[in-house]
Amino acid sequence: MIRVIGVGSPFGADQLGWMAIDHLATLGLVECELLKLDRPGSRLLDHFRDVSSVVVIDAVAVNDRPGGVSALSLSDLQQIQCTPSSHGFGLAETLALGGQLGKLPTDFHLIGIHTGETLSAVPILDLASLEALVLPLI
Amino acid sequence: MSESRDVHINIPVLTRVEGEGALELDVVNGEIERLNLRIFEPPRLFEKFIEGYECNQVIDMVARICGICPVAYQMSAVQAFERLFGFEEPDWLRAMRRAMYCGEWLQSHALHIHLLAAPDFLGFDSAIAMARDYPDAVKRGLNLQTLGNDLIALFGGRSVHPVGVRVGGFYRAPREEEVAPILQRLRDALPATEALVAWTAGLDFPDDEQAFISVALSHPKEYAVGRGNLISGQGLETDISFYESFFHEHQMPYSTALHATLDGRPYLTGPLARINLNFHQLPKPVRDVMETCGIHFPSHNMFHSIVARAIELHFAVFEAVALLERYQVPQSSYIEVPPQEGNAFGCTEAPRGFLWHRYDVDQQGIIRFARIVPPTSQNQGRIEEDVRHSLEKLGLNASDEAIRLRAEQVIRNYDPCISCATHFLKLDINRR
Repeated sequence: MIRVIGVGSPFGADQLGWMAIDHLATLGLVECELLKLDRPGSRLLDHFRDVSSVVVIDAVAVNDRPGGVSALSLSDLQQIQCTPSSHGFGLAETLALGGQLGKLPTDFHLIGIHTGETLSAVPILDLASLEALVLPLI
Repeated sequence: MSESRDVHINIPVLTRVEGEGALELDVVNGEIERLNLRIFEPPRLFEKFIEGYECNQVIDMVARICGICPVAYQMSAVQAFERLFGFEEPDWLRAMRRAMYCGEWLQSHALHIHLLAAPDFLGFDSAIAMARDYPDAVKRGLNLQTLGNDLIALFGGRSVHPVGVRVGGFYRAPREEEVAPILQRLRDALPATEALVAWTAGLDFPDDEQAFISVALSHPKEYAVGRGNLISGQGLETDISFYESFFHEHQMPYSTALHATLDGRPYLTGPLARINLNFHQLPKPVRDVMETCGIHFPSHNMFHSIVARAIELHFAVFEAVALLERYQVPQSSYIEVPPQEGNAFGCTEAPRGFLWHRYDVDQQGIIRFARIVPPTSQNQGRIEEDVRHSLEKLGLNASDEAIRLRAEQVIRNYDPCISCATHFLKLDINRR
């Protein structure tokens, strides 16, 4: 069982993580749980319980190839702006805290979808790239 | 002999608070000439766009004002409508709304104590850094926050922007088999919450007594959360419908949030104000924990807010256990209540202070006017007063870094939710 979590909100490019989950839901994946979370902050760590494999998908403020999809490392996150956060506790901080506390799953993957220059516009999600990066993990 | 210097400090973004704000400080000839808590987050105009909607829609809409304290917004709203419509909560409903509210106090206080405030007292710049040396404390905070969220979701369907509350009750009553595991987790958490009070009381607090007015709800039968009259430490007691007669809001040119005063003076609302005014109404086992922690209440040291918050967190778990132990599935989770025309007033204790609502409702139960006064805008004047006092006590010749850290720590004592009031502190210090 693998859990794939889209992080985002209903607003602008921040919904790209959710859009990815909506697309994956159409593919009839088995042994795969899909979740959409609205700006979870530190509560994201709750969703790593009871599962050893997790993929987190979030919009990232990257100008290159709007709608493009990239596999990211935790250290990449320190350089990139992610989903707007509550109390300044966003995805990068939450995953750093999870790492510090040993709360990250043993098999953990992070996928970023490029927002382009502005967060208010929703770029066309590169579905082929999304599938190429996520499906081999499932 | 110390030498005075002129200072200009700008904290451009305050971290570990909810929302966007800044602090500007000018020190001239060794005295503070200007100190502005500048809230520049754009106003969201919620009060205007809920006009034209009916009461139950508004209860769900106002929950969107805040991701941290949506239950408070829902409870103040539903109380307002039910008071206007002449509906008195049956005992089951009042108890279960109070249990749901305990969930919000639990999650919000756990978040603030462990992830936002504690790093200040332990010398870390973030909870992530603190987690290296205090992993168990941070895990405790996260676990308690999860428990609080799950308690909210029990009644609200979900913890952020719950949808369970309606005029006359809940849309759905949880089944007993849903309540039992949460109740057991709450019982299991009691020792940790008791230990938390002692942990916070053992932190190193600056000696910083100051005079301020505490304001909170008070109810003769219970530690006030979801009902009561407004009282102050200076003798005020009034029904919540007279709030506008005693409290006044005004605009400051540098802030998009309104400042509030009582008799022309800033005042404090929130955990320390509540404990100062109502500690005698805490259940005896909670009071016993409070009285042996080594911090004496009432307290006028604002840094004791973290201890007050821990006491309330312990109370929330204790109270939720007591309430859920009596849980029974009701025949119906709500009663249909016909709307009536008039002015509706609601006021409940959000985690960071009292939250006052007014709605003008027409015969069809449609909102024609709304006014919402959140705790952070009420505390704004008090925060400025406190920062001024605390920095003068620290000494204005301290380094810019020391002044910035102290100012941020003082502001975080209030757990400000700037998004509610209209994010982070930017500090400008000008020394001339």
